[in-house]
Amino acid sequence: MTDSLILGLSSGSACLATCGMVMFPYLMAGSSGVKRIAVDLSLFLITRFVIYFILATLSWYFGQALFSNPVVRNIVPGILYIFFAVMLIWYSIGKNRSPNCPAKIVKTINNNRLVPILLGLINSLGFCPALFIILTKGATQGTLVQSYLAFLAFFIGSSIWFLPLPLAGKIRKKEVLKNIGILATGLAGIIFLIKGITNLIGGIING
Amino acid sequence: MKKVKIIAGISWAIFCLILILILFPGLNSFSGSVSKLPFMKLNPRYTGGEIANQVIQERCTLDIRKPVFNGFLKERTSGFVQLDWHGTIPEMIKDSIDYDHDGNMDFCILVDRKNSKTVLDPISKKVKGVVISTPTSYGWAVRIGLLK
Amino acid sequence: MDNTLKVAGMRKSFGKSLLFTLPMFLITFMFMTGGKPNFSDPASGLAMLTAFLLVNVLYFFMHYTGKTDRYRAVLFIIFALSLSYTLIHNMLEVRKSMSFSQADILECKIPFCHLVIPMMILPAAFTKSIIFPGSIISGFANISSMVVLWLVATLVLGRGFCSWGCFYGGWDDGFSRIRKRPVIKKISELWKWMPFAVLLMVVLSAALTMMPTYCSWICPFKAVTEFERVTSVESATKAGIFLSLFGGLVVALPVMTKKRTQCSFLCPLGAINSLSNKITPFTVKIDKDACNECFKCVGVCPLYALTTDDIKAGKVSLFCSKCGKCVDACSRNAIHYGIRGIPSGTMKNFSRNLFLFVSFLFMAIFSSGSIINTFHGLLKLIF
Ligand code: SF4
Ligand code: SF4
Repeated sequence: MTDSLILGLSSGSACLATCGMVMFPYLMAGSSGVKRIAVDLSLFLITRFVIYFILATLSWYFGQALFSNPVVRNIVPGILYIFFAVMLIWYSIGKNRSPNCPAKIVKTINNNRLVPILLGLINSLGFCPALFIILTKGATQGTLVQSYLAFLAFFIGSSIWFLPLPLAGKIRKKEVLKNIGILATGLAGIIFLIKGITNLIGGIING
Repeated sequence: MKKVKIIAGISWAIFCLILILILFPGLNSFSGSVSKLPFMKLNPRYTGGEIANQVIQERCTLDIRKPVFNGFLKERTSGFVQLDWHGTIPEMIKDSIDYDHDGNMDFCILVDRKNSKTVLDPISKKVKGVVISTPTSYGWAVRIGLLK
Repeated sequence: MDNTLKVAGMRKSFGKSLLFTLPMFLITFMFMTGGKPNFSDPASGLAMLTAFLLVNVLYFFMHYTGKTDRYRAVLFIIFALSLSYTLIHNMLEVRKSMSFSQADILECKIPFCHLVIPMMILPAAFTKSIIFPGSIISGFANISSMVVLWLVATLVLGRGFCSWGCFYGGWDDGFSRIRKRPVIKKISELWKWMPFAVLLMVVLSAALTMMPTYCSWICPFKAVTEFERVTSVESATKAGIFLSLFGGLVVALPVMTKKRTQCSFLCPLGAINSLSNKITPFTVKIDKDACNECFKCVGVCPLYALTTDDIKAGKVSLFCSKCGKCVDACSRNAIHYGIRGIPSGTMKNFSRNLFLFVSFLFMAIFSSGSIINTFHGLLKLIF
């Protein structure tokens, strides 16, 4: 659970600094005080939670089906970890990091009630290497409960950053937060890279 | 206002000068005070936990420590129990341990000190394996991994 | 005012420099000898005398020449080398190996180092305990005394600790001085924030695993101090990480960039020290009236603490370690040591004298033990 939480915490900070700043105006749109903000934020977080719950279930069943062969089970997850970890590192140091968040799509939506739900959907299903890593983790857990726990830790880690979202307008050094978040994401990638290599070596030795 | 700022700045600097001057002569007493702060004690994960039971053997003593499951915000599901032998320890240590004091033995341990070999025979399902088995300055120590 | 005159303003006459050195002379004498020099063992006496002369000659030259960094660096680098020597020597003498054993960990005999401090904070707050296998109060480098030393140094010097107190910083400082010109000239600004990302990661991971993760997995200085004995794939991986980070960030990159890359891009304590720069009384200031924006200072800063924008804005960034390299490089004395509250461009001499006394005294006394020990070892080796 620890590494999932760390992954969530590190990728969540970068996510807040990029997508969070796009979401903020929409979560705030037409707001009539704290209650409304709390409702919108809760809807957003609940959507993420539900999506992760579904992903945890799907990934685990996929893992059971795909990794039934012991050789595959010992080696493929290691390779996947390495691949996605390298993607995560590349994302953090690469110059072509997309400056545009997919959440910008919500600009086209008129229904304010739907916005937080849609944002939750986009945010949890975003094409993000951190999500692929957690999917790999979910798929390789021994039991379904362990898969849920891994996703739960990831959800908690990444959600913490969204809680102060109503204050986002007051954050002055947005760029600094974003830089630190992106670099922390890269470091989480390194942790998973090491994990992938050890898994692979262990898999080869045992398999 | 400017003057106040200058005076405050210089006073702060002079205070720091004094702090550095007394730092080294007073280091022992400052450290002594810091060491008494409530959080200045080693976590049981490092000390091995408090001694829960002492078994006096023929020529040596076995300390069985409290199982350690300490985590950050809550206890963990896995931990360890540390055993320390001191005194004149035989070449071959062989002991049966009931670490949770429920009247039933939880594991048997055999340490061949000469060849640095440790064999664990788990009886309870909560006993996972040998984490550390090493000679120490006082004798020999073993940590056995446990499930809660 | 003419440039040369401005520089001359930082210099002092021979007599005045001696006078300024006198307090340092007396205090270091008291500390190193305890008031009674003992020459019963000639090697120890000579080692002590050499160390004593070294610090005072360096301090004298800081006043006499008006230059700071070049004399600071000599002691700073010797400090780093001598501490590694002392640690390794102790390890070899006591344990016949540079690595510590499981028994040392179990018996909580590992010397404490200030880099652990950021990782201690959350567990100390939430579990009221320390997650390090060291001694709380007794023995060499115990936790309490190291915490006190770091706390005071950080309060007084801020990130100045990284150029006047840290016994590791001298390594990359030393390597960054080897080449005359850098091979790599431009590195993305983004990397400056890496220590904060590392800080975030190690603080969290240490709390969650209840282990000083930076020490167990990352610290490059394990390569020149002590590390876990290689007995498994995991310990071999760790040793590989230590050695490659040391080779890359402490040796190769500093040589190629002429910058202190380990301190700039990795060290989590450096990040905390940077934040503490906000409260310390001593700062580096820019006198905008005197500055002609030649940006020489920007090029020489070893910690990426100065940008052309900073100079234009008249403010040094929070990464500054008060090493004095930019101050030495500025021919117009426009960038100078200052004291918080005192407007830039004024009381330059007073601020410098006070800062030098405080920071150099800290370094001289903090380093004296290991320097004497090293000189003693060398003398024994020669004779
Ligand atoms: S950045 Fe870290 S290693 Fe470098 S001088 Fe500062 S505390 Fe020491
Ligand atoms: S700004 Fe000047 S004093 Fe500060 S670290 Fe850079 S060179 Fe050293």
